Amino acid sequence: MAPLLEVKDLSVTFDTEDGRVQAVDKVSYTVESGKALGIVGESGSGKSVSSLTVMGLTRFFSNAIISGEVLFEGRDLLKASDDEIRNLRGNEISMIFQDPLSSLHPFYTIGDQLTEAIRAHRKVSRAQAMDRAVEMLGLVGIPEPRKRVAGYPHEFSGGMRQRVMIAMGLINDPKLLIADEPTTALDVTVQAQILDLLERLQRELDTAIVLITHDLGVVAEVADEIAVMYAGRVVERGQKDAIFAKPRHPYTWGLLRSIPRLDQARGDELVPIPGRPPSLINRPHGCAFHPRCPYVQPDHMRVVPPLEPLADDAAHLVACLLPEAQRTALWNELKAGGTPEEARARAGVTSAGPPVVAEGSQAG
Amino acid sequence: MLAFVIRRILWMIVLLIIISFVTFMIFSVLPSADPVLLRAGRNASPELVKSITKTLGLDKPWYVQYGKYMQNLVLHFDFGYSYQNNISVRAQIMDRMPATATLAFGAMIIWLLIGIPIGIFSAVRRGTWADKSAMGTALVFISAPVYWLGLVSLYLFSKDIGVWPIFDGAGTYPTSGNIFTNPVAVIQSLILPWLVLAASFAAIYARFLRGNLTEVLGEDYIRTARSKGLGERRVIYKHGVRSAITPIVTILGLDLGILLGGAILTETVFNIPGIGRLAFDSIQKSDLPTVQGTVLIGAFFIIFLNLVVDIVYAFLDPRVRY
Amino acid sequence: MSRRSLRYALVACMMVALSLAVAACGSSNSSSTSGSSGGGSKTVPTGKKGGSVTVLSAGDVDYMDPGQMYYTFGYQVGYSVQRSLYFFSPKDSTKEIPDIAAAAPQISGDFKTITIKIKPNIKYSPPVNRAVTSADVKYAIERAFSANVPNAYAVGYFGDIVGAPKTPTNGVKQISGITTPDPQTLVIKLSKPSAGTVYAAMVMPITMPVPKEYASRFDAKNPSTYNQNVVFTGPYMVKNNSGGQLTGWKPGKSISVIRNPNWDASTDFRPAYLDSWEVQEGNNDAAVASKRILQGQSLVQGDGAPPAQVLQQAVNSYKSQLSFSPSGGTRYIALNTKLPPFNNINVRKAVIASFDRNALRLTRGGAIVGPIAWGYLPPNFPGFKESGGLKAPSQFDYLQSDTGNAQLAASYMKKAGYPSGKYTGSEKLLTIATNADPGKKTAEVAQAQFEKLGFKLNFREVPQDTLYTKFCGVPKSDYIVCPNVGFFKDFVDGSSLLVPTFYGPSIIPANNTNWPLLNDPKVNQLVQTAQGTPPGPKRDQAWANVNLAVTADAPAVPFVWDNQPIVVSKNVNDVNDDYSNGPFMAFLSLK
Repeated sequence: MAPLLEVKDLSVTFDTEDGRVQAVDKVSYTVESGKALGIVGESGSGKSVSSLTVMGLTRFFSNAIISGEVLFEGRDLLKASDDEIRNLRGNEISMIFQDPLSSLHPFYTIGDQLTEAIRAHRKVSRAQAMDRAVEMLGLVGIPEPRKRVAGYPHEFSGGMRQRVMIAMGLINDPKLLIADEPTTALDVTVQAQILDLLERLQRELDTAIVLITHDLGVVAEVADEIAVMYAGRVVERGQKDAIFAKPRHPYTWGLLRSIPRLDQARGDELVPIPGRPPSLINRPHGCAFHPRCPYVQPDHMRVVPPLEPLADDAAHLVACLLPEAQRTALWNELKAGGTPEEARARAGVTSAGPPVVAEGSQAG
Repeated sequence: MLAFVIRRILWMIVLLIIISFVTFMIFSVLPSADPVLLRAGRNASPELVKSITKTLGLDKPWYVQYGKYMQNLVLHFDFGYSYQNNISVRAQIMDRMPATATLAFGAMIIWLLIGIPIGIFSAVRRGTWADKSAMGTALVFISAPVYWLGLVSLYLFSKDIGVWPIFDGAGTYPTSGNIFTNPVAVIQSLILPWLVLAASFAAIYARFLRGNLTEVLGEDYIRTARSKGLGERRVIYKHGVRSAITPIVTILGLDLGILLGGAILTETVFNIPGIGRLAFDSIQKSDLPTVQGTVLIGAFFIIFLNLVVDIVYAFLDPRVRY
Repeated sequence: MSRRSLRYALVACMMVALSLAVAACGSSNSSSTSGSSGGGSKTVPTGKKGGSVTVLSAGDVDYMDPGQMYYTFGYQVGYSVQRSLYFFSPKDSTKEIPDIAAAAPQISGDFKTITIKIKPNIKYSPPVNRAVTSADVKYAIERAFSANVPNAYAVGYFGDIVGAPKTPTNGVKQISGITTPDPQTLVIKLSKPSAGTVYAAMVMPITMPVPKEYASRFDAKNPSTYNQNVVFTGPYMVKNNSGGQLTGWKPGKSISVIRNPNWDASTDFRPAYLDSWEVQEGNNDAAVASKRILQGQSLVQGDGAPPAQVLQQAVNSYKSQLSFSPSGGTRYIALNTKLPPFNNINVRKAVIASFDRNALRLTRGGAIVGPIAWGYLPPNFPGFKESGGLKAPSQFDYLQSDTGNAQLAASYMKKAGYPSGKYTGSEKLLTIATNADPGKKTAEVAQAQFEKLGFKLNFREVPQDTLYTKFCGVPKSDYIVCPNVGFFKDFVDGSSLLVPTFYGPSIIPANNTNWPLLNDPKVNQLVQTAQGTPPGPKRDQAWANVNLAVTADAPAVPFVWDNQPIVVSKNVNDVNDDYSNGPFMAFLSLK
C-alpha cells in the first residue's frame, strides 16, 4: 500500500542576513496510514522545519528556499497552490505545537477557536459546530465540556490546554496529525497522560501521527517507526524495536545512553553527548556529527555519509561511514555499560581524528 | 469591577485637587505677569492698583484665596470669573467645548480611518517598497510640527490665501452654532484643521500598529490559526489585528483625552474658538481663573479617559481582571 | 496709548518667526517712504453707502465700557460706536474737534474753569433711546473714579478737578467740581490751572456719556457689569437685546456691530457708510491675517500689523491697500539714571553717541517704518517743529550721527573717568528684553552695541507683560537697561508724551512709565510751566522746551518715530483713525 505521506529529498534553506541556514538537508521519510512516526533530534536538527514544510507553513517565510517532494496521498504538496494546501491544513493534515498557552489565541474562547477550525472546512451551523466541539472536548478527556467550552485559554491548566489543542487538531478527522513536542512544556505526570491520549486516539480514529520530540523516551511508547535527525539530515531510520534494540549510529547511541534506564546498574553514569549542536550556517564538512563523534576517522571529515539500509534489515537505514561490523561491535560494548573510550578500544576502532571538541564548526 | 471603578473615581478627584493646587501655586509663586497691573493699565495710581487687588480678592493670603476658589468650585461648581472681562469661566468653557470636541472627534475619526489600514498594510507587506514609502511618509508627518503643518496647509489650500484654494481657511468656524445646529458651516471650516491634526496622529498610529502587528504575526497562535487552514485574511484580521489593536485603544483614549483639553496649536493657527485657544489667550493675560479652569478641564478629560480606556481594556483582553 | 497693539504684533511676529524662519524683521533696501503719512491735512475718500466689512484681530477689546477702555484696539472699536466730548477727524488728526460738545470749550482766564456746551440732539441706542445730557457726562467722569469702574488715567489726567477723589471710591460718588447748570451745559472747576491738559484729555473715552438711571444698577456691582450692558451714542452699536445686554459681543470670539437706529447723521462728522461690520477675533498669526486681508474682500486690519515679510509684499504688490498711521510716539532704550553706571550723564551720552540707531530701526522694518528719532515728540505733533524738526539740534552732538560716532563716544567716556574710552567695570548690567520679535531682535542688536563700549549685560528675555508688570514697570526691580520701551500718546498734547515718561513726580512703584527714573528739577519746573500754558503756539513751545531739556539729560537712546502699517482689502476705501492707529470703521466704505 502506498504510504500516506512520503517526504523525498526535502531541502529547506533560509536566506538570512547572517548567511544561508540549511535547516533541512535532503531529508526523506514516510508515514503509513494509521501508523505513528517519531522524529527525534535536538533543537536545530530540522525536525520541526520539515514538518512545517509538509503543512505548507514555511511558505509564509519569504526567504525560504524549498526543494524536493512531499507526496501526500500521491500528490506533491510543494507544487500545490496556496489555496489547495490551505484546504488540506486543519482538515486532512493537522499540527499541534509545543506551548499550548501561546498557541491559543488569548482573546477568544476555546469554543470559538474550535468552531472556527470546523467552519473553516465544513459548511455547518454554529450550533452544529459547537456540538462537535463539545464532543471533541469530551473525547480528549476534559470534564464538563459543555460548560468549559465558554472558557478562555488562560483559565485552563497546562495539560488541559494541550488536550484542547489535540481536540482542535483532530476535530476534522485528519488523516495525519503532526505533534511537535506536544509534551515538552508539561510536567512529567501530565506528559504521560497526553501520550496515552495520543496513542488511544490514534488507535480509535485510525489517524497517522508524526510525533516530533527530542526525548527518545516519549517515542518509545507511541511510535511505530523512528527517524533520528541531526543537523538537518536523517541519520538513522527504522522500526522502533530495531532502533531501540540495535541502533547503528553513534548519535543514536549517545541519545540512548543518556536516558536513565530502569535496568541500568545503579552506579552506572549517564553518558551525555559532549559538545553542542552545530551551526546550520556553517555546518561541519563531511559527516555533520563528526566533531562530536568519539569514533571519527579522517575521511569522515570530507565525505557526507549516505543514508543506506543495513545488510540484514532493508527497513533500517543508517548514515554512517563506519563499517557495519565495527558499529555492531561498538554498540555491544556500549550496551554492556562501557564508556565510549572503552568501547572504542575493545572494538578495535582506532582513534584517528581529533578528540571531541566543544564547538561544532570544523575546518577540514 | 465596580470596586475598581469607584476607587479610580475617588483617585481622580484627589488628582484634580492636587492639580488645581499646583496650578494655583505656580501662579502665586512664579507668576509671569501681574494680572492686577495688567488690568490697571499703565501709570495707574497705587491707590487704583490697591483697589483692583481688593476687588479681585488678591489681597488675601494664598490659602484663603485657594480655599475660596475650591469652596466655590466644589459647592457651586463655580469656576470663578475672568480677571480680564469678568465673564464666568464656566460659561466660557461650556461655550468653547463644542468646537474643541468637534475638532478632536473629527480628527480622531480621520486618523483612525487613515492610520489603521496603512498600519495593517505595511505590516503585512513588511519590507516591500510600498511599506518603506508608507513608513517614510509617516516619519515626515510625525516630525512636522503641527503649527508649521497648519500654516503650510493654509498657504497651500485655504480658499482665501492658498495657492490652490480648496478648503475653508483660518477663522471660518461659524461665530454661532455648533456641529448640531450648523453642521455644514462647521464641517467645512474644520476639514483643513482635521486633516492637519490627524496627519501626525495617523502617522504615529500607522507606525505603531505596524510594529505591533508585525510582532503579533510572529506569535504562536498565528501559526496555529494558519495550521487550522484559515484564510490568510481571517488570520490577519481576526487573529492578528484583533491582538495588535488593544494597545492602540489605550493610546487612543489618552490622545483623545489630551485633545479634549484643547488642541492649542491647531486651534490657534486656524482660529477655532475652542478650549485650547481659550487657554492660550488666558495664559497670555495671566488670567488665573480662566487658566485654572482650562487646566482642570484638560486634566479631567485625561484622567477620565484613562479610566475609560482601562475599563474598555478589560473587555478587550479577557486575561485582565480588576 | 498703551502697548496692547505692540504686544500682539510682537506675539504674532514670534509665531511667524518660529514657523517660517523669517529673515530678520529688518529688511533693508527698497525705496523708503520715510516721514509719516498722517497727521496734518488729508483728503478723505468717500464711497457708496451700504455693505459690510470684517475686522480681523488677534485679541478682544479690553472693555466695551468707555469708563474702563484704555487699549488701542478698544479704541478702534470704541470710537465708531461711541462719541466723546471731543475727538479728531481723519482730515486732520492733530486738531481736536467737538463731537458731543457743540463747540470748543470756554476756558476761564485763570485756567481753572472749563465750560462746555453739549449738542441737544444726540440720542442713545436702544433700550435707553433718550437724548444725551450734560448730567450723563458728569456721571461718566464720576464713575471712573470708583473702584467698581477701574480707570487708569482718571486720577492722572482729571485728578485736578475739585473734589476728585484720590483713592477709588466705594460705589459712584458725586464730584463737587463738576456741575450741570442745565442739560446742555457742563462746568468743570479745577484746583490747579491745568485746563489746557484737561481739555486735551477730553478726547479720551472717559467723556463718553453714560445714562445714570440705566447704568447705576450695573455700577453698584464690583466690578461693574455695565461692560456687558453698554449703550451707544455713535453711528453704530453692538447688537443687544431688549434689556440692553450685549448679545453681539462674544468675548474672545467676535463682535457683531449694526447701525444705531437713533443716530442722527447731521450731528456727527462721521459719515458711517457701512451698514454693519464684524470683528473676528483669535487671528493670532499676523502673517496669515494680513495675507487674508490683502488677498481677500471686505477685510480690514484690527490689532495686528503685517509682519516684515508681508509688509514687504504689500509695498511691492498691494501698494494701494497699504497706508501708514503715525503711532504718535517714540521707541527708545531706557537707561536707569539712578543706578551706576548710567547715573553718570557722560556715560549716558557716550552710549547714545556710540549707538548705531539705524541698525535698531532696521530690526523694526527699516526706513519704511519711520524716521530715526532723536527726541520725544514725534513728527506732526505739537512741539515737534518747535523742538527742531527731524534733525537733532546741533547742541546735541551725541545725536548727530545715525550710525554712531565711536570717537565722540570714547571722548565722553574719558570725561566720565574711563581713560581707555571704554567701560572697565566687570559687573553685568541687568537688561530686561522682550522674548518676542521684533523687540527681541532690537534688544539683541542693542546688546551688541553696548558690548562695543565695554559693557557686559545680564541679558534676560521675558514675555512683554512680564517685562512691564514685573521689571521695567517696577523701579524696585533695579533694572539698568530696558531696551524695548516706547511711549505713545493718549491725546495730542505734549503733556501726554512727556509727563508720564520724564516728569519726576510721575514715578510710581508699579506700572511706572518713567523708565529712566528721571527726576531733574529743571525738567520738572519746565513741565509745570507748560502745564499751565494756555493752548496755542506758546504751549507748543513750552512743551518743546521740556523736550529739549529731557534730551539734554540723555536719559535714553531714542531710535524711531514709527508709523503703524495698516492694510485693507482691495474693495475697501480705507480711512485711518490716527488715534487708535487702525481703520476708522465709521469712515470706511466699499468701492
